[in-house]
Amino acid sequence: MKMALIMGMDIGSGTSKSVIVRDGKPIAYHLLPSGVDYRAVAQQLRKESLAKTGLSAADIADTMATGQGAENVPFSGHQASDILCCARGITSILPSVRTIIDVQRTFTQVIRLNATGHVINFVINEKCATGSGCFLDIISHVLQIDLKDAGPLSLGSDNPVVFTTGCAVFGESEAISRVSEGASREDILAGVHAALASKIATLIDRVGLEMDCAMSGGGALNVGLVKSVEKKLGFKLLVPEQPQFINAIGAALMAESEA
Amino acid sequence: MTKAVIVNSDGETLSALMGPTGAEHRRLANRVMTDALTQADLTFDEISYVVATGYGRINVPFADRQITELTCHAKGIASLFPGVRTAIDIGGQDAKGLKIKNDKLVDFVMNDRCAAGTGRFLDVLVGTLGLKIDELGEISLKATQKLPISSVCTVFAQMEIMACLSQGTPLPDIVAGLHDAIANRVVKMVKKLKIEPDVVFTGGVAKNIGVVNALQDCLGFKVSVPSEPLLTGALGAALMGRELTLKAIAEGKPIHEKERRLAESTFFHTEKH
Repeated sequence: MKMALIMGMDIGSGTSKSVIVRDGKPIAYHLLPSGVDYRAVAQQLRKESLAKTGLSAADIADTMATGQGAENVPFSGHQASDILCCARGITSILPSVRTIIDVQRTFTQVIRLNATGHVINFVINEKCATGSGCFLDIISHVLQIDLKDAGPLSLGSDNPVVFTTGCAVFGESEAISRVSEGASREDILAGVHAALASKIATLIDRVGLEMDCAMSGGGALNVGLVKSVEKKLGFKLLVPEQPQFINAIGAALMAESEA
Repeated sequence: MTKAVIVNSDGETLSALMGPTGAEHRRLANRVMTDALTQADLTFDEISYVVATGYGRINVPFADRQITELTCHAKGIASLFPGVRTAIDIGGQDAKGLKIKNDKLVDFVMNDRCAAGTGRFLDVLVGTLGLKIDELGEISLKATQKLPISSVCTVFAQMEIMACLSQGTPLPDIVAGLHDAIANRVVKMVKKLKIEPDVVFTGGVAKNIGVVNALQDCLGFKVSVPSEPLLTGALGAALMGRELTLKAIAEGKPIHEKERRLAESTFFHTEKH
């Protein structure tokens, strides 16, 4: 199995990601919006990812799926929890990490690892969307900006808006009120990041912190959110290069070690 | 929404209506006031006293006094239902429980931090279902099986019902499930006050017969709904204004503690600023 190619697929509620791994190293990344049909996006993701790398389905020895839509990947032999995939993915890139903040579209989870990279505890915002990426999605929509611009824009804030609610739904009306009162987009975005950071801090309190601490998931692409969480926690976070692909990488690595 | 009620010295309602509250409360409060005056065929000078209430109460430049919405709601509801002991108000921004004794507010609980259990929950989900907010009540009456909604959070519930829609769950069953979810959430909160009958249900959501039924199922007894469930706060404010005016007259004191800030002309011209 030395040269076998393994595909990891992370079918998330917002976007779906695939990674092809050879010998424990990612060689190709691909990402598509998930839409409403997880099965269709999984197939499209595989097709486009293979086309991009000039491979055929027969070259892939195994596929492991994770994420919300993992059960809908028709060609995958098995599924793994995103907690385990995240832990595995991070450990392969940043072995010193003991606490991971995984900011996804709908869920934010904080995962604690031991020295061997095994999950010893985790906590998810299971009751409500507070603290997850969807708050930022909703506010970006209100401000009519692209989600990827939210981070850089927020760095220009000099007077962050203080949100009185962590609720993503009430946060939307609060943002609209602040806009009409003349608050800048920069200040509103910085306020959203601060609100997310304070929810993330409570999740960390629940699970316990051990250094080093990393952020992964799509949220880690947002430089404003990373800075805001760093400010709230009082230390620097490690952020892997392709944070949104960590769980897909982890899925592929788990399949590789099972083989 | 911004609501206006005008009462006379006998406490009879002369005018009662509402208009949208925009982001600029000040401007639209003037507009609703103007409409109320027109409806009652009165001029602003004929109004002895103006009490403003609600979230935007400090933004009514022509008010003589501001009084909290809880006090005003209790007053308005008690004037319509003298036997009321508990009031449940579900609006677009919050949900409240009021404990009322002898026409006065004695305790309350409130949720304005989380959209679940407020009208916003339905506002958001009605879009997901492709329906209009005022259709929900009727549609829910056709349910054969109420869909249990496991998520409390509005965002999570939205994902949950999208999955149900794709599985072909009938719309009435989903809507009835949403009504149960909101009723359960609010009753759980108001139970902290020890709910005693008579119970009066107010706020925009009280116009939804499906939520009224769900609330009754949840409580195990009937609730009363005023014919204008959105106007009880403004009615209470008007009645408080009436009492303040009558008290001032009885004591031989001037009705207005301060000069009324806006003459008629400037009052109408503030719209243009």
